[in-house]
Amino acid sequence: MASVSIDKVWKYYGQTAAVKELHLEVADGEFVAVLGPSGCGKSSTLRMLAGLEHISAGEIRFGSKRINDLPPRDRDIAMVFENYALYPHKTVFDNMANPLKLRGVERSVIEDRVRKAAAILEIGHLLDRRPGELSGGQKQRTAIGRAIVREPALFLFDEPIAHLDAKLRAHMRGELKLMQRRLGTTMIYVTHDQLEALSMADRIAVMNDGVLQQLGTPRQIYDHPVNAWVAGFVGEPPINFLDCRIVEENGELRLVHPSFNLALRPEQAAIVRERYTQDEVRMGIRPDQVAISTVQSPDSFGGQILVTEPIGGDMLVDVSLGGDKVLVKTRPDFEGRMDSPCYLTLDRGRWHLFGKDDGVALF
Amino acid sequence: MASKDVVEYASPARRIANVAVVVFLAIYLLWTILPIFVMFVSSLKDLLEAFRIPAVGDWSGIALFFDFQPTFKHYTNLFVNLNFGVYFFNSVAAALGSAVVSVTLGATCAYALSRTEFRGKKDLFFWIISTRMAPVVAVMVPLYAIFRSLELVGSLWGLILAYTTFNLPFAIWILKGFFDNVPYAIEEAQMVDGATRLQAFRSILPLVAPGIGAFLVLCVLFAWNDFLFASIIGSGGAKTLPVATKELVQPQNIQWGSIMAAGVVTTLPMMFLGLLIRRYLVTGLTMGAVRE
Repeated sequence: MASVSIDKVWKYYGQTAAVKELHLEVADGEFVAVLGPSGCGKSSTLRMLAGLEHISAGEIRFGSKRINDLPPRDRDIAMVFENYALYPHKTVFDNMANPLKLRGVERSVIEDRVRKAAAILEIGHLLDRRPGELSGGQKQRTAIGRAIVREPALFLFDEPIAHLDAKLRAHMRGELKLMQRRLGTTMIYVTHDQLEALSMADRIAVMNDGVLQQLGTPRQIYDHPVNAWVAGFVGEPPINFLDCRIVEENGELRLVHPSFNLALRPEQAAIVRERYTQDEVRMGIRPDQVAISTVQSPDSFGGQILVTEPIGGDMLVDVSLGGDKVLVKTRPDFEGRMDSPCYLTLDRGRWHLFGKDDGVALF
Repeated sequence: MASKDVVEYASPARRIANVAVVVFLAIYLLWTILPIFVMFVSSLKDLLEAFRIPAVGDWSGIALFFDFQPTFKHYTNLFVNLNFGVYFFNSVAAALGSAVVSVTLGATCAYALSRTEFRGKKDLFFWIISTRMAPVVAVMVPLYAIFRSLELVGSLWGLILAYTTFNLPFAIWILKGFFDNVPYAIEEAQMVDGATRLQAFRSILPLVAPGIGAFLVLCVLFAWNDFLFASIIGSGGAKTLPVATKELVQPQNIQWGSIMAAGVVTTLPMMFLGLLIRRYLVTGLTMGAVRE
């Protein structure tokens, strides 16, 4: 068991900085997901933790021990690779036993631990097979098995379920979370899939372009994104952005868009008055925070339905608002038809305003 | 890779082509098998019998070839009087020795070239193969001078070193391709599992085994069949089979029987080797070229 401190860490590849002054504290037993698009520096971070890449600047500590100059084998970590990296010429048993063999663990103990891990992962019947004879899910379990037999201080997972089909991926999310809770081992989990991060992690570190954007619980990340980029990256279907203006009318701040003119709540207005000087602002609201109806109500404003997409339990509706487009998530029995008018109501308690130029969230 | 049907439809041209193919193959087979057959049969014949050749046009005379009393006296002569046991050993030692040295050095070098990036890597890689571009004769004289001053001429070690000089670049080129095809993640996984770099390297050797196998064979073949190095660098103390066979041709007395027997002794081991590792050789030489 170990806590992890990533202290002002930089990673350069030649002149290109892949990770820029990353600061991240992971508590003992915590499950932290590092989330970001490809090329955001998340894999480089993980590989620096594993000892597969040099740390260009800064320091990484496990507990109080500086590990910058330790080779991977002395770090007491276990890693699951994106492409599993199983040994193709060895059986599942030998793949899983490998880390124990390399540490000179007794044969009987190896046997015992591998069988236990295999039982947890439900691959006990596959121990004599080679990776070539396994399905994607089974390979992935073998790779996880190889990681857990060791009982390491830290798990590093690099997009371990990215290549599984959707159904199996959903299944594995639950299993991985359960496994981590049971073992209580600190876990750093790299993914580009915001759903994996939101559903599994205790905390999420969102990275973009080598810079840590936001660190927080899944709720914080989803409900209070620190900037427009995080708001846009997290959430499926993605958040709607509308360029608006802030106008003062009768001592009240109002958000004005060609299609609507809505008052900010007093506490929201206070934040804007205090922190924002421009008129132009970018409003963000998630598709499930917009209500849609075919009949007008006091607070609603008009738009035109472009497309309706039923997706089983919900329906997605593309609505045209002047020149902008808004995606709305509603009930599957919504009766609006394409090209017909509709009326939208925004959940004003949950919308977000972002600075027009810097994208920083006001609320 | 799924095998595919080769779709053909009958046509007059097709039929002619089919016949032509069979005829060609028959001629080709005769052309390649006949010398070996003559060598093999002659080695078991008394000299008089060996030179009984039917007249031109007398097809029934072919039976003459098979009409003989098998004798092993040429073989006995080789191994009892002519010291061929020693030459055979020299050939085996030189071939295997250089193969093992080349594979060991070649695998480590190929691994390094495959896994690391450094300035001038491409130039180095090209320079390695360029040492194989000059014909052997061109470098023979300076090589001989160097070997003589190191007192390696006429020793088995000298011969092994000479073959290694020529096999090593080849080893590096072939094996680098194989290492390139092994995902680096496998070694990384090994190192995270607790292996040192060297252990990680060893752990992927089974994955390049076809390449190593194929190369070992090529290496052995080169050394086994070599005449030039053996006659110059190995002359005296490290005589190999081809050189010893050549010495059976003396001005007064060409010992045909013994030459034929020596030919068989030289050929058979390589044929068996080929049969043994046939499967390896094919995957070894095509893997790396074709990605599945």
